[in-house]
Amino acid sequence: MASSTTTTKTTKEEKPVQSKPRTLADMSESIDQATFEQILEMDDEDEHEFSQGIVYGFFEQAETTFDKMEKALEEKKLGELSSLGHFLKGSSATIGLTKVKDACEKIQHYGAGKDESGTNDEPDEEVSLEKIEKTLATAKKDYKEVETFFRRDYYHDDETPSSPEEPKKDAKA
Amino acid sequence: MVLNGRLSALSLDDQRRSDEPTKPEIQPETPPRPSSPSLSRIYRYTPIPTLVLDASMTVVEVSNSHTALTGKPRDSLLHARISDVGPECIPAPNIPILYGALRAATSTRETQVVEHILVDGRIAHNLRVTPIYEESTLLYIVLEADKLTAEVINSQHAYLNETYKILVDTVRDYAIFMLDPHGHIATWNAGAGVLKGYKAEEIIGKHFSILYSPEDRASGKPHRALAVCLREGRIEDEGWRYRRDGSRFWANVLITPIYQFGQHVGFVKVTRDLTERKEAEARMITAFEESSRLKTDFLANISHEIRTPMNGMQIAMTMLADTGLSPEQIEHATIIQDSMSLLLQIVNDVLDYSKLSSGSFSLHADMLDVREVVGAVVRNCRSSLKDGVELTTVIGRDFPVRLRGDPLRYRQVLQNLVGNAVKFTEKGSIRVSISCATDENDPDSSVVRTEVADTGIGVPDSAINTLFTPFTRFANSTTRKYQGTGLGLSICKSLAELMEGTVGFAPNPNGHGSIFWFTAKMGGRSAATPTKLPSAPATPVPTELATEMRAIAPRKHVLLVEDNIVNHTVMLKLLHTLGFQRVDGAWNGAEAVRMIKQKPLSYDVVLMDVSMPIMDGITATGQIRDMGLVMPIIAITGNALKGDAETYIAKGMNDCIGKPVHRDQLLNVLWRWIGT
Repeated sequence: MASSTTTTKTTKEEKPVQSKPRTLADMSESIDQATFEQILEMDDEDEHEFSQGIVYGFFEQAETTFDKMEKALEEKKLGELSSLGHFLKGSSATIGLTKVKDACEKIQHYGAGKDESGTNDEPDEEVSLEKIEKTLATAKKDYKEVETFFRRDYYHDDETPSSPEEPKKDAKA
Repeated sequence: MVLNGRLSALSLDDQRRSDEPTKPEIQPETPPRPSSPSLSRIYRYTPIPTLVLDASMTVVEVSNSHTALTGKPRDSLLHARISDVGPECIPAPNIPILYGALRAATSTRETQVVEHILVDGRIAHNLRVTPIYEESTLLYIVLEADKLTAEVINSQHAYLNETYKILVDTVRDYAIFMLDPHGHIATWNAGAGVLKGYKAEEIIGKHFSILYSPEDRASGKPHRALAVCLREGRIEDEGWRYRRDGSRFWANVLITPIYQFGQHVGFVKVTRDLTERKEAEARMITAFEESSRLKTDFLANISHEIRTPMNGMQIAMTMLADTGLSPEQIEHATIIQDSMSLLLQIVNDVLDYSKLSSGSFSLHADMLDVREVVGAVVRNCRSSLKDGVELTTVIGRDFPVRLRGDPLRYRQVLQNLVGNAVKFTEKGSIRVSISCATDENDPDSSVVRTEVADTGIGVPDSAINTLFTPFTRFANSTTRKYQGTGLGLSICKSLAELMEGTVGFAPNPNGHGSIFWFTAKMGGRSAATPTKLPSAPATPVPTELATEMRAIAPRKHVLLVEDNIVNHTVMLKLLHTLGFQRVDGAWNGAEAVRMIKQKPLSYDVVLMDVSMPIMDGITATGQIRDMGLVMPIIAITGNALKGDAETYIAKGMNDCIGKPVHRDQLLNVLWRWIGT
């Protein structure tokens, strides 16, 4: 179903990164197929209304959360970072965004003063903050990858391609 | 006085003994009474080989016939002490037997006979020992060798006096015969002839092992039997024995050793044919098994037939309860529902029992999280716990997260034992402890031991032996306070045995109460990542379950508590696809508590996120439980850490699902808690 729709639309050729639209299967490292397919099954017939709503809702949530994380990082609020990590972990897991979920989980653990798996204590707050900073960058990168995939290759959303991303990137940098 | 008299008699005796022997020695040829010289020649010329001893056991006369028999010259024997004469020259079998006979003769003053003395390997003589007393004084002992005729030997007169011979000979239902000390057949009665098919002349002299099977002979069983018989004084045995024509019969054999004057001389063997009795026994056992099977089949059929309409009633009752009944009607409906559940439980027990006893019960190998099962069972039983009874669980931290076993059967046994403990414990505590050890015989498997200790009414000594016997209930005799079929423990026993384990009982060492335990063999530690909750569905859920769920879901009221809009939306949609139509949403714990307070009995199940702002899921669960509400609360968590599920369950939640929530998994868990 996914591949048949992608082949028909190849209008966005001007995008320099990738000329050929990727399929869900290409993204298996970042997206858990079974989990996302479950979301797709909730769609009525061939309309992607529900799943797209969920995914786009997640984008909004992720971007706000990343902003909050940056802010908490500046203010060195580890506890806040941990719960933000947990919050985004939940929704990214629900959609099946494996890499983002894993990164968020690490942030949750670091924020709670633990190591990345949450088993051992990490007493040094500075070390934790440093690790969160790195992990947050990875999380955003991983997020960007799946966002681009969904917007451009999966839902072929022509109207909201780069405009909301660019300014945000600038703001953070 | 008596002592003195005796002493004097003895000394007198001794004197005479010491005096007398000198007389014949001095005058051996002189008869003691010159007035009747002819009498002394009786023993000299008697045709019966004879030795005459005086009181000091010295030979004083030897008959010519004795010399002829033994070939020993008269002079070599005269004046010799009897102990210096070789037993073969007397003739006697050996010194102990001879001495035994002499001792018996002098103490009883009666003639003694040593029978069947073998000369040249044949039974040839009886030795007659006759003491001659004058008043209380021993004068002589006459030893006569009665030669046995061939006829006497062959007709076994040597062994038996006439009465016994007739008795034994007329017994036709028993084989009664004698063996010599080496096991050769020495006598043969009519019964033996009938039973074994051999005639006396054919069998006498043969070794009795001829009557055994070749296998028994090869394993040395006949010789072992004789050895045991000598040691124990007798031996009884049952087994196949063989007739002359090679056919066999089931025999009861009794062998007893025979002693004469302290010397072992042979064996008596009595054999009965038990073939018919054995066949009758076999027929009875077959008949019993058949009737038992019919009973089991009947139970299975009837239980199954009862269950079907009961299910219909139960569904109808549930629907009826949802039609806006008055409080009084609701109360009656509840009673009907409770009674129906109990009845269904009993019918299921009977069905399980009949399946188990007919052997048509099988295990389904699956992955099983013992902690999860224990948590669920404990939660399930908590509602029936009496006030003030504490229910605790002990599982080692190193207990494997996943094992290969049958979760349903394991749960059934545990549920039964915990259920019993809850039922019979009025005060005190119930402790469920589970441990796991590698199977000694199979390093790839583990043995899970589960123990339920309570401080309840305990088990009276008289009931211990029948605890695991079907249909017995020790509570029967005392009171009808506790209900049940008496099948529970016997089902547990069969199920544990099905899982290659055992069940057992011990009184609680800490005062009154019981400890019931069972073991189950389970597949080794699985490779599943230990940090992951049992979220991935192990087997695809049959569409049946989805259909069944869709049938009951519209009547169920669900409260979904989730703060994350993405998850909230997906869960809501997921619930709708499962057929739920009445789903309320709350965005944090406080909101959930508020909604439940407004309509406390409305929700059939609560799906509760754990980490939420304002009030988390655990606090909310605590508050809901504090209201006295027992509806299932299922944790939905992104925390996939080991032990989290136990924590949630300990805090009052019933079950736990990890994120991302999969449809089949949600279906399974919901069915577990709100399915019929």
